[in-house]
Amino acid sequence: MKNNIELQNVSKKYKDFTLKNISFNVPEGCVVGLIGENGAGKTTTIKSILNITKADGIVKIFGKDSKENENEIKEKIGVVLDDSFLSDYLTAKQINSIMKDIYKTWDENKYKNLLKQFNLPEDKLIKEFSSGMKMKLKIVTAISHHPKLLILDEPTSGLDPVARNEILDIFREYIQEDETRSILISTHITTDLEHISDYIVFIEKGKIVFHLPTQELLENYGIIKCSQEDFLRLDEKDYIRYQKEKYQYEVLTNNKNRIKQKYNITVIDKPSIEDIMLFYIKGEK
Amino acid sequence: MIKGLLKKDLYNLSTYKASLIITILFCGIAIIGTEAINFAPIIICTIVGMIALSTFNYDEIAKSNKYILTLPTGRKDIVKEKFILAIGATVLGGVLGLLITIIAVNIMNYVRPENVINMNYESLIITTIGGMWGISLIQSIQIPSIYKWGAEKGRIQMFILVFILIAVVAGIGFLIVKANFNIDMEMLNEFMNKFGLFLLVLFMIVMYYVSYKISCKIYMNKEE
Repeated sequence: MKNNIELQNVSKKYKDFTLKNISFNVPEGCVVGLIGENGAGKTTTIKSILNITKADGIVKIFGKDSKENENEIKEKIGVVLDDSFLSDYLTAKQINSIMKDIYKTWDENKYKNLLKQFNLPEDKLIKEFSSGMKMKLKIVTAISHHPKLLILDEPTSGLDPVARNEILDIFREYIQEDETRSILISTHITTDLEHISDYIVFIEKGKIVFHLPTQELLENYGIIKCSQEDFLRLDEKDYIRYQKEKYQYEVLTNNKNRIKQKYNITVIDKPSIEDIMLFYIKGEK
Repeated sequence: MIKGLLKKDLYNLSTYKASLIITILFCGIAIIGTEAINFAPIIICTIVGMIALSTFNYDEIAKSNKYILTLPTGRKDIVKEKFILAIGATVLGGVLGLLITIIAVNIMNYVRPENVINMNYESLIITTIGGMWGISLIQSIQIPSIYKWGAEKGRIQMFILVFILIAVVAGIGFLIVKANFNIDMEMLNEFMNKFGLFLLVLFMIVMYYVSYKISCKIYMNKEE
């Protein structure tokens, strides 16, 4: 399987934060979710991929060095950033006129059809749009030049469930249109990823904690709720983290079948990605 | 690509349309009222030239710089576009100032034939180019300052730089006087009459070029 993004030992040092040796791939046809707390390094990773910030290490996009072939690569990428877009004093119509002269492959018809599909007015100033409308416009702008890769930084933050669902539908449709396309999506709303991602990359304090298929996470991981006595019977190798609650222990394992067989524990809860993330951040080992 | 960036800035600037027209009309009225025909091109040129720099504010408020870097436009092109806009605004400001002055004076002469203002076109052109030179100096200092420190801080740094520049020029002047350096004013005037305009234009080109190179160097290493 070809990779649309390859990161090898990407590092970036700031005064108070360091991104350490980040390595992962985004294969063709896949949606990769980048998760982590605020300030964990998700945005720095995305900025390093896009060469917005100068980082050490190797970043290859479509098999090519991202710095040496920057413009050629960016022609085939669509980007949505949570906190950055064109000025609020522009209209969707003006954005069309601007983008026509920026992207060689800009598809005016597609852009206008998507505006209609999402009920986005062409002549209204962006500053009069709601958060959901603004995000939809950013996404419509990002996909209207038929990019091979979408890089999305917090595309659903601050949106209500209905708007979030509509936006996730856009991504589903985008990825289904062409099997060589990929999406790298950074978010702290992990429930969104359970529905659309193929892989999860979890970053904590600038380091990758795990990089796993979503299915493996959701099927193999489990939360055991047990007494102190049962918890003490568990071998340290059989669990990842534990949390001591008021009346019981909650233990995260990455192999719930082995736990069932080895310790004869039958009740193991299925964790959400958010549960897993919280165990890694707050749990003890 | 540059065309797209230019469009972005021009669309943003179109919000200034009304205030720009009012300012120009106000200048026209001021010319009629005061008969200070040589100041109008300088004022109009300065206003138009400074408005072009406000596009940096739009980019900063919307944090557009980060987004623009995700588009297939190189960093050099982004800087180049800002200079094209700044130079274009300076030239437009100069031409507008000149035209408005000529129109206003002709209207006045038509309305008040008993009090005709004799327009010295050569002097008007020199004043206009002088105004363009002034705004190009400000732009040449301000653009790299903005790239280095941002639109808000860059403005303060620019004032400091202009102050230093004035202090240096005044210092040199003071030293010349102090050293009793004899300057042949007649020769200097003759030289300025012959080459003054050419030197102003040449200086403008050099200032923009040096400023562009410095801006590129700053922006190539800048992190958003």
